[in-house]
Amino acid sequence: MASPAPDPAPPAPPQRKIIHIDMDAFFASVEQRDDPALRGRPVAVGGSRERGVVAAASYEARKFGVHSAMPSVTARRKCPELVFVKPRFEVYKAVSLQIRAIFAEHTPLIEPLSLDEAYLDVTENLQGIASATEIAERIRAAIRATTGLTASAGVSYNKFLAKLASDHRKPNGIFVITPRMGPAFVEDLPVGKFHGVGPATTAKMQALGIHTGLDLRAQPMAFLQQHFGKAGPHYYWISRGIDERPVRANRERKSVGAENTFAADINSLAKAREALQPIIDKVWRHCESVGISGRTVTLKVKYADFSQVTRSRTGTAPVASRAELAAISDALLVPVFPVPRGIRLLGVTLSALDDGSRPPEPQLSLAV
Amino acid sequence: MKFTVERAILLKALAHVQSVVERRNTIPILANVLMEAKGGVLKLTATDMEIAVVEEVPGVQISREGRTTAPAATLYEIVRKLPDGAKVELDHAGGDAPLSLRAGRFNTSLSVLPVEDFPSMTEGKLPTKFNLPAGQLRDLIDRTRFAISTEETRYYLNGIYLHATESEGVKVLRAVATDGHRLARVEEPLPDGAAGMPGVIVPRKTINELRKLAEETQDEIEVRLSDTKVRFGIGPVSLTSKLIDGTFPEYERVIPRGNDKILKVHKKEFAEAVGRVAAISSERSKPVKLSLDRNLLVLSAASPEQGQAQEELDGEVVSYDNTPLEIGFQARYLNDITDQIIDTVQFEFADGSAPTVVRDAAKPEALYVLMPMRV
Repeated sequence: MASPAPDPAPPAPPQRKIIHIDMDAFFASVEQRDDPALRGRPVAVGGSRERGVVAAASYEARKFGVHSAMPSVTARRKCPELVFVKPRFEVYKAVSLQIRAIFAEHTPLIEPLSLDEAYLDVTENLQGIASATEIAERIRAAIRATTGLTASAGVSYNKFLAKLASDHRKPNGIFVITPRMGPAFVEDLPVGKFHGVGPATTAKMQALGIHTGLDLRAQPMAFLQQHFGKAGPHYYWISRGIDERPVRANRERKSVGAENTFAADINSLAKAREALQPIIDKVWRHCESVGISGRTVTLKVKYADFSQVTRSRTGTAPVASRAELAAISDALLVPVFPVPRGIRLLGVTLSALDDGSRPPEPQLSLAV
Repeated sequence: MKFTVERAILLKALAHVQSVVERRNTIPILANVLMEAKGGVLKLTATDMEIAVVEEVPGVQISREGRTTAPAATLYEIVRKLPDGAKVELDHAGGDAPLSLRAGRFNTSLSVLPVEDFPSMTEGKLPTKFNLPAGQLRDLIDRTRFAISTEETRYYLNGIYLHATESEGVKVLRAVATDGHRLARVEEPLPDGAAGMPGVIVPRKTINELRKLAEETQDEIEVRLSDTKVRFGIGPVSLTSKLIDGTFPEYERVIPRGNDKILKVHKKEFAEAVGRVAAISSERSKPVKLSLDRNLLVLSAASPEQGQAQEELDGEVVSYDNTPLEIGFQARYLNDITDQIIDTVQFEFADGSAPTVVRDAAKPEALYVLMPMRV
């Protein structure tokens, strides 16, 4: 019998220069900038009503434990003085365009993740600046001067580490992870912080005794492939600080989706409905943060035996609210029951996206 | 249960009932057809819980009474592939024994599901009862169903609204459908017994099944209904359906009254010109612009990628005597309406962005409202 192939060596030395720019408490900072009465106070952008969710929290609010994606009811309990402000997406979009114009002075390789966050590949850059750190500082200064807002920057040799770095000195900070620091930097990182490791995979890794980057790195490729299939090689490399994903400019989003794998299979409609809520929250929050919506809602149901069904519905106009997204998802979910097997995963995706920049529907409607 | 029946007779009945069976089914029993042989009659039933079709099959020799359920689609496929003129024998020993089907030297056994699991659709009382000639029912359906909305969020538009009303002093049975872009309204004389009927919304699938069944008959169709259910009796077939539980909008409000720019155009020339001109368009909606001047109609369409097309229709086939007008419509919407018109199409315009009325010049009982596109 042939001995197993030795685990592959890392690819050619990393050479890219990647910057991750992340605006600090973006929506909340815009509101504090535009309304002096809000400065220094705990501010939450989002609906204050019962089913409302915090879209963004100012740093004053974060001290009380308020964070984005938190139900407004919980946020108010944590911080009774919390000021709720209705989101003004038009303003956020305008600011977002300003900062993208600043990025564009340095590189065409810009991959926006949302209105307030983007990856830049500055390996080759328009102004011929050798130091990525210097570019990042110039961008931060320009953002400050143009918009009056602060941004944090992460500089590294791939997207994963650049994003970790920007988070490291937030707010209004910059951090650099060099190729020499990379592997050590991820050693202590809990596995849940790694790109592509969600709650279900975290649980699975922990069951296998893998808690940190160091634990993950100790696993041979074959072991990771055996347990995590296609994602195995990704975990293998990323635990070594290696992430070859390119910065994809002008990446046009085709859909916004989220899914959850459940720790225990779901058999009842009531449980499935409950489990769908955080998924809907996540999809809708992302839609709001990037200022888009879609006409097609797709529900994905994966059963315990890994067989999968999808159900979708397309309306004539983009989904206008979380409530509408929830209602359509529910209408798609109900006929799935009774289920032939337990449900291991549910997902919701919005597609046929529309960012409002297209001209209005040319077909006029009857007033019925 | 054991009986023998000629293949053609069984095939026809199975075709009727299996059509309501949903292909994708989460409840296994709904994929089955219920067969009941009793008192010299074979009765077939299929349902999707919204619609039930029951057919009494004539000319069946029953040698042992009984009942069972078997997969409708499979049974239909097998019977369809049997040679013409074959005698089919179905034999079920009872319980969960398989159903055996024999025809000549072919035989098969199909698994069955318990009769007790087969859902029965209770009709309740159906106080309204009237008969409608099959031809009138076909007319009501054909001229309205293209406008039924498929948008499920506006479920109350997912069917044809059938109600009794008066039109210029005459009592009529009226069918209305709209998808929010166009509206179709058709009337027939009010049949005896329909005067007190509630307004009901008959779902699209029911309409489609009913239309298939109504194709084969010249007889009167018996309609019985309450405000939640309707039953159509078409010869030996009975189709029962739930109605859409919703309120149909006040459609009269959107029918314009004072449109005074009248265009009359021959249907054939117009429809063909629309088809030719629209072929250039790469958009799904295929907008076609109508430019009107005295006894002149120019149809045009353009596509940024593929170029443009236009066609002139003049006084030979067009009559128009008003101020010049430009207005755009989706080609498909125009054709859906002209398909229902025999000879001359009459358009009644207000302006380029207002609802337009379309009629068959020879058939005043049908009226269509069409919203334009921005072009």
